[in-house]
Amino acid sequence: MPTVPAPSVNAGQLALLIPVGSDTYALPLEAVREVVVDPKVTELPTSPSVVLGVFNVRGDIVPLLDTSLLLGMRPVAEEPYAVLVETAHGVAGLVATEMPMTVRLSESVGHSDMEGTTETYLIGDARLAVALDVSTLLSPARISR
Amino acid sequence: MSGSDSVAEGDFQHLFATEAEGRLDTLVDQLLELEKGGATPELVASLFREAHTIKGGAAVVGMPHVARVAHALEDLLEEVRRERRGVDTPLIDSVLAGVDAIRTLIPLAVAGEDHEHAAFEAEQRLRIAVGGPPAAGDEAAAAPTPVAAAPASADPPPSAAPLAEQPGPRRSAAARQAPAAALAPPPSPPEPPPQVGGSAAGPEPEADRGAVPHRPDPVTGQAPAAAAVPGPTEPARAAAAEMVQIPVHRIDDLVRLIGEASAATLRLGSALLERLERDPSGMTEYRDLVRSLNELQELALHARMIPVMSLAPRLRRAVRDLARESGKEVRFETRGEDAEIDRGVLERLADPLLHLVRNAVDHGIESPDERRLRGKPMEGIIRLHAMQLGSEVVIAVSDDGRGIDVARVREAAGSTDRSAMEMDDEAALYLIFRSGLSTATRVTGVSGRGVGLDAVRASLNAVRGRIEVRSDPGLGTEFRIAVPITMATLRCLVINSAGQAFAIPLHSVRAVLPPQPSATVGGRAMTMVEGRPVPISSLASVLGTGNGVEGPAVVVAGLTRSHAFKVDELVDQRDVVVKGLGELIPRLPAVAGAGVQPDGSILLVLEAAGLIERARRVDSGDRSLEAADGGRREAPVARRAASILVVDDALTVRELQRSIFENAGYRVAVATNGEEALTRISEERPDLVLTDVQMPRMDGFQLTAAIRGQPALASVPVIILTSRGSDEDRRRGLECGADGYIVKSGFDQSALLSAVEHLLGAER
Repeated sequence: MPTVPAPSVNAGQLALLIPVGSDTYALPLEAVREVVVDPKVTELPTSPSVVLGVFNVRGDIVPLLDTSLLLGMRPVAEEPYAVLVETAHGVAGLVATEMPMTVRLSESVGHSDMEGTTETYLIGDARLAVALDVSTLLSPARISR
Repeated sequence: MSGSDSVAEGDFQHLFATEAEGRLDTLVDQLLELEKGGATPELVASLFREAHTIKGGAAVVGMPHVARVAHALEDLLEEVRRERRGVDTPLIDSVLAGVDAIRTLIPLAVAGEDHEHAAFEAEQRLRIAVGGPPAAGDEAAAAPTPVAAAPASADPPPSAAPLAEQPGPRRSAAARQAPAAALAPPPSPPEPPPQVGGSAAGPEPEADRGAVPHRPDPVTGQAPAAAAVPGPTEPARAAAAEMVQIPVHRIDDLVRLIGEASAATLRLGSALLERLERDPSGMTEYRDLVRSLNELQELALHARMIPVMSLAPRLRRAVRDLARESGKEVRFETRGEDAEIDRGVLERLADPLLHLVRNAVDHGIESPDERRLRGKPMEGIIRLHAMQLGSEVVIAVSDDGRGIDVARVREAAGSTDRSAMEMDDEAALYLIFRSGLSTATRVTGVSGRGVGLDAVRASLNAVRGRIEVRSDPGLGTEFRIAVPITMATLRCLVINSAGQAFAIPLHSVRAVLPPQPSATVGGRAMTMVEGRPVPISSLASVLGTGNGVEGPAVVVAGLTRSHAFKVDELVDQRDVVVKGLGELIPRLPAVAGAGVQPDGSILLVLEAAGLIERARRVDSGDRSLEAADGGRREAPVARRAASILVVDDALTVRELQRSIFENAGYRVAVATNGEEALTRISEERPDLVLTDVQMPRMDGFQLTAAIRGQPALASVPVIILTSRGSDEDRRRGLECGADGYIVKSGFDQSALLSAVEHLLGAER
């Protein structure tokens, strides 16, 4: 377990916890537009596998992305929640497999090495959350690869 | 005085630019009518009025140079109106040149660019043209010379004819005069002399100076022409009062807002159903709302429509200029005044149509001598017909010329493509749309350079239009363009494939076939369509969503190829409001976009050319497709070799291992401690377990022991991965039954992978 106290830029900030499979990710609350429950997803054939499909948000067509696959891990099995995130390239949905919750982050407990992530935070006593870097993660280049 | 410094003025400049465009079109149209020999006083008065209105408008919105040229134009037409100047070809040419100059100057003025020099030149040309021959055979014209008219004004004004000699004062006078004139009602017919100082032109005497010289002509004032002027203006004014000009973006905003209102209504409907358990479709109020919104949307879309024939003046002009240049006699006829089309679509049709019309003059219509020899009337005819057919407008450009020489087309194409020589006439005819093909043996300023029809086709493709050609040797050629009335909606054929609905734009659907027998030719499945073999594939397998089906087939035509796609079933035809998929997703060649359906679901719209290209690659077994797509969602699961359970309480370590194994093609499950690992194992037996030692609740040693304790799991290899490097730990691990012991400090990816591969290989 890495114990080096990395300087935290986000401590004290409100964040949305996004459970994906057995892991939890965190996004700064201001990056999140809303959470859609049970999005009706239309599959998008010939698209990269991280694109689970598109869904309708008040008349806008929004892509739903596999949060886990985007981080280079195994694909999610279901898509019960979509977290709408504003990016420089438009709105995208990130899959959450359980209901996302808002928390106030404490000090970072370490730097996360995974590409597209920044710091690791301790949530409660035993749960860890890895903060996502939206600008790296939700870029056309990364989605296309 | 550039005019672009205030936002409000800029707005008005745009408005004026739009208005002037229409007026210039009318001007040209009437001018060509005049040239045909219909110089009625009404027509001349109307021409004069258009020029006058443009002049006034230009001055008001701060385009003094445009106003100057328009003023010169007005003066020239005034001479004609007063029958002091006859209508001849140089006059028509001069007026056309003036119109062209104004067309060029307006965008420059909007952009705030300096264009004084160009304006000056255009003005001079018009001034010089005033000195043409007097109106032929008109005794009224013979008596008063322009110079004689001059002294009627209080100030000694410049005389009409030699105006070109004094550009200096003239220029400033015109600039100052114009705004005042524009305040007057547009038709502003010249009044008899008594009102010289304070006529409709405005209160400032100085402002009148520019306009005065030609108007108060006591001699011609009594001419019938002048009397006729107020007549036609009245209805025109009444009609103008019924019209408003709206910037297109405002209508677009309206359309968008109506779309949002419709979407909100649908959400309201589902909220009613979910929260109040009231079915909205049973509520009259709800149905009324939905119906009104639909009507509103239709009306708003209609507001963007303009007549197809609003392009006619420009085309007529092109025909006229070109015919004159090439010594041909051509009549331009139009039909279909009521056909309307989205302004945006029509704008993009202007160039292709211009091209077709020029081609018709240059290639189609023969010289008068040749026509006589062939027993045709000396005057050739080019027709522009427009007609609405469902959600499309068909525009035909036809000529009664020599037709297309298919043999020469074949020959020209055959030099680079042997297959052209075997084509039948119809197929060979379509070779004219190929890039670089030209049958013209000489290069003219217009055509014969081998660029053209392929560009026409490409432009049409951009507005989702298609083009057809028919040609009868010796009798003529007809090009037919079919375009959707609006780009906002796209008429589509909706089909089902592998349980998902897709829309195929109707403009690219060539035919729909019942379930087809297919034969394999050269390793590809082919079917016969209209007597020709066309490749056939299952849509689902091309899109990677399923396997082959034996349903009906949709024959889709791309730019150069056709392809038949088998689908599960045909659903219906629908107008789809197509939206893009956003910037985040890479461009998908086979998907044109998507539309939100009334029930809130999303309907994907396929793109013919991309789909055909993809089908071709799938047929030829192109494996790069999977790589490019990342395959479907099931793909990583499908290639699973073995599954690995990673147990570690550190998320980072766990995910690092997960990514290493998944990249190596394994399927990975994770658990955060021994207890959770046992639960996972009971759900699905992994092929290998990789565990940390230090974990809450149940550590790695305990987990290893527990696995070994179950006979069913006895053969599952366990690797312990730990930061502890002591011999004691290693011994303890192996005692528990671990198959491998890897210390994190000496951890390296390839060592881990080879250990796993070794153990899995041994296990099998």
